[in-house]
Amino acid sequence: MENTHQEEHISSYAEHFGTWVALIMLTFMTVFVSVYGSGLQTLTVAMALLIASVKATVVGLYFMHLKYDKKMYRLMMVVVMALFTFFLFMVILDYLTR
Amino acid sequence: MAEVTVAHPNFFQVKKGLFSWIFTLDHKRIGLLYLYSVGSFFLVGLTLGLLMRFELLNPGRDLVEPQTYNQMFTLHGVIMIFLFIIPSIPAVFGNFFLPLLIGTDDVAFPRLNLFSWWLYVLGALFALSTLVFGDGPADTGWTFYAPYSVNTTTNVTTSVLAAFILGFSSILTGLNFIVTIHRLRTPKMGFNQMPLFAWSLYATSWIQLLATPVIGITLLMIVAERVFGVGLFDPSIGGDPILYQHMFWIYSHPAVYIMALPAMGIVSEIIPTFAQRTIFGYKAIAYSSMAIAFIGYFVWGHHMFTSGMSGPAAIIFSILTFMVAIPTAIKVFNWVATLYKGSISIEVPLLFALAFIFNFLIGGLTGLVLGALAADVHVHDTYFVVGHFHYVMFGGTGFAFMGAMHYWFPKIWGRMYNKLWANIAFAFIFIGFNVLYFPMFILGIMGMPRRYYDYLPEFHPLNMISTYGSWILATGIIIMIVNLIVSRKNGPKADANPWNGITLEWQTTSPPPLHNFDKMPEIPEGGPYNYPNAMNE
Amino acid sequence: MNHTFTLPNSGHNFDAKASKLGMWLFLYTELLLFGGLFLVYMVYRYLNQEAFLEASYELNVWMGTINTVVLLTSSMTVAMSITALQKGDKKLSLILLWVTIAAALVFLVIKYFEWSAKFEHGLFPGMEHYDSLQLGERLYFYLYFFMTGLHALHVIVGGVFILVVVKKIGNGSVNKERYSLLENSGLYWHLVDLVWIYLFPLFYLIH
Repeated sequence: MENTHQEEHISSYAEHFGTWVALIMLTFMTVFVSVYGSGLQTLTVAMALLIASVKATVVGLYFMHLKYDKKMYRLMMVVVMALFTFFLFMVILDYLTR
Repeated sequence: MAEVTVAHPNFFQVKKGLFSWIFTLDHKRIGLLYLYSVGSFFLVGLTLGLLMRFELLNPGRDLVEPQTYNQMFTLHGVIMIFLFIIPSIPAVFGNFFLPLLIGTDDVAFPRLNLFSWWLYVLGALFALSTLVFGDGPADTGWTFYAPYSVNTTTNVTTSVLAAFILGFSSILTGLNFIVTIHRLRTPKMGFNQMPLFAWSLYATSWIQLLATPVIGITLLMIVAERVFGVGLFDPSIGGDPILYQHMFWIYSHPAVYIMALPAMGIVSEIIPTFAQRTIFGYKAIAYSSMAIAFIGYFVWGHHMFTSGMSGPAAIIFSILTFMVAIPTAIKVFNWVATLYKGSISIEVPLLFALAFIFNFLIGGLTGLVLGALAADVHVHDTYFVVGHFHYVMFGGTGFAFMGAMHYWFPKIWGRMYNKLWANIAFAFIFIGFNVLYFPMFILGIMGMPRRYYDYLPEFHPLNMISTYGSWILATGIIIMIVNLIVSRKNGPKADANPWNGITLEWQTTSPPPLHNFDKMPEIPEGGPYNYPNAMNE
Repeated sequence: MNHTFTLPNSGHNFDAKASKLGMWLFLYTELLLFGGLFLVYMVYRYLNQEAFLEASYELNVWMGTINTVVLLTSSMTVAMSITALQKGDKKLSLILLWVTIAAALVFLVIKYFEWSAKFEHGLFPGMEHYDSLQLGERLYFYLYFFMTGLHALHVIVGGVFILVVVKKIGNGSVNKERYSLLENSGLYWHLVDLVWIYLFPLFYLIH
């Protein structure tokens, strides 16, 4: 049985740094949209959540290593997030249709 | 791999003394610790239930004041749900038998396992401490519905914290089992060669893991609301009590499957053994466990049909609820098909398994009545609901628990119980149970509301019958417990494999040695229940 | 103990994959714990859109932005520290972990200033100004304190976790061959980051 860390992918420093640059850029983008785009209301919120989700995916894939792990980890993450989205969906559905 | 002929001391003999138990890392001992603690709380809950039934023997006050009655049914609910039924089968038999069934010597994280038990003890102390200080135990019902739970002066905060801690314990047990199943199966045992009890624990563990955090945070919000006096759920300060109900049932409905799925797993173990026949539809049973766990997340709204939730949402929840019936029915058909043309030996565990199917069918079908939107509006919060969930919880999970007890008793203690007394106890329990709970369906249809210490005179006869049933049931349970306790030390010695089972736990000695197996367990060819076919014998 | 036979699949063996799987499962429970709060946030924001918008102007966007950058940077350093240990560079790994801990402290200090500003304005539940607000704004601040408070608690736990790992790398029990604990503390730290990635826009940027 394989119990040790052998054959694990080792991410390079450059990759981590690149990830960081991307995340910082996304952060400034979302702040920019919010500060200079106020008045757009729903659109700014949608933008903010979209960018947040992109950031979260980047963190998950590169920092948390999901990209290099077994498929199972990605699958479980997707299932958990889908489940949570369903919770949100059913609850807000109740409020939207009251 | 050296063949070992020396007889090892069994796990009872390895070490003695209190500390060797409460700080043990052995999954078998932890399972027994759970058995003793869970069993004690079952007796407390049972006593409360008997007292409530006694109060309802006649209209008007028999025994206790209305307020005391409110606190009694709350405590009965909290103890039976959080301290007995949720940990019952997974924590007791899951801990003891999961590693044996998949051919390993412990769970993946033995220390975490012990920590779970200690959390359970801590949570139990919290729950019981509500009895002794302040205004006594919570009087909200086990659901802690806001805004009443925010305003009442009884010890809601402590009860809620107890539920929070117990939830944590349950999460850690689930986490442990999932990793154990993924990482520690004996070589050559794929997921599809696992015994069905392991499958049902796998499904259960995922529910424990993914549903419990939601109740955790909800309960914390209740505590914060009581401590800081500001409200998320109190409508007088802007909150929405229906949101509380959503969050509560997002956990508590899947929790119903935390209770039911392991019971189904037990039945799937008992039936093939006593029919000496390959289980019918192994994959159907295994995957329907996962399907139940999955669909179970999407139906919580059916607890809230009368709460003010929107019509469209209620309709969707009702439809989804009906879908749960499909995988459940698949299991029932498969169990019955397994019995067909088997060489059946009617032993006590099989009786409990058959009683499970009988009770669970009644519980399940009345559940469809409640899941149907139009019907539910009429019977919501009546004794129909009380009858329904006791048929599912007690008639289902409770009976499976007792069945598992009689099935694995010789493996755990290496002794056999007195079968005559076990049969007598079963008869009392089965009859008492049905006399106790069946009248509740009729009372509910007649319109008797739940959670009152009093009722109208026309409900009197059926309530009397129900209370008499509770006495028969309690007698049966006492006979059973005495029989088991006496046989534990004094029963006749049992073989390693008294039922001719072929799952891995029967390949080691009874009681098992500390490390479970003295040689490699061999998985049966062609699947975990591939008995030499009964028809050819 | 005259124990001569051990199963190859023993639960007492060191198993890096099991620890990692266990950690991920735990992270799911954490995600859903915060998920419950996001659910509450969603509902009350839907019911009180104007009030939430109004109240969000009380928060300082720049402080939030700085904190975001701090957390993202610390996430990078902890990820790099794993790379360093995998390559056998113990010293660099330790330096990067100390940077991470420092970042956690910076985050908490900034958070402290933000919270005390709110306290000075009497915006904590039970204070005078808070009680004079309209119901929707009260919910906003209540959620703000609850969610950032719980998040700050996780920052502290994550920081302590990393501190433990630093000690274990120091005495060699976490090393090039056995770095599960470092990996797991990293995963936990990224979770703290993930939660903040959503908290930040939902409270600071909803103008």
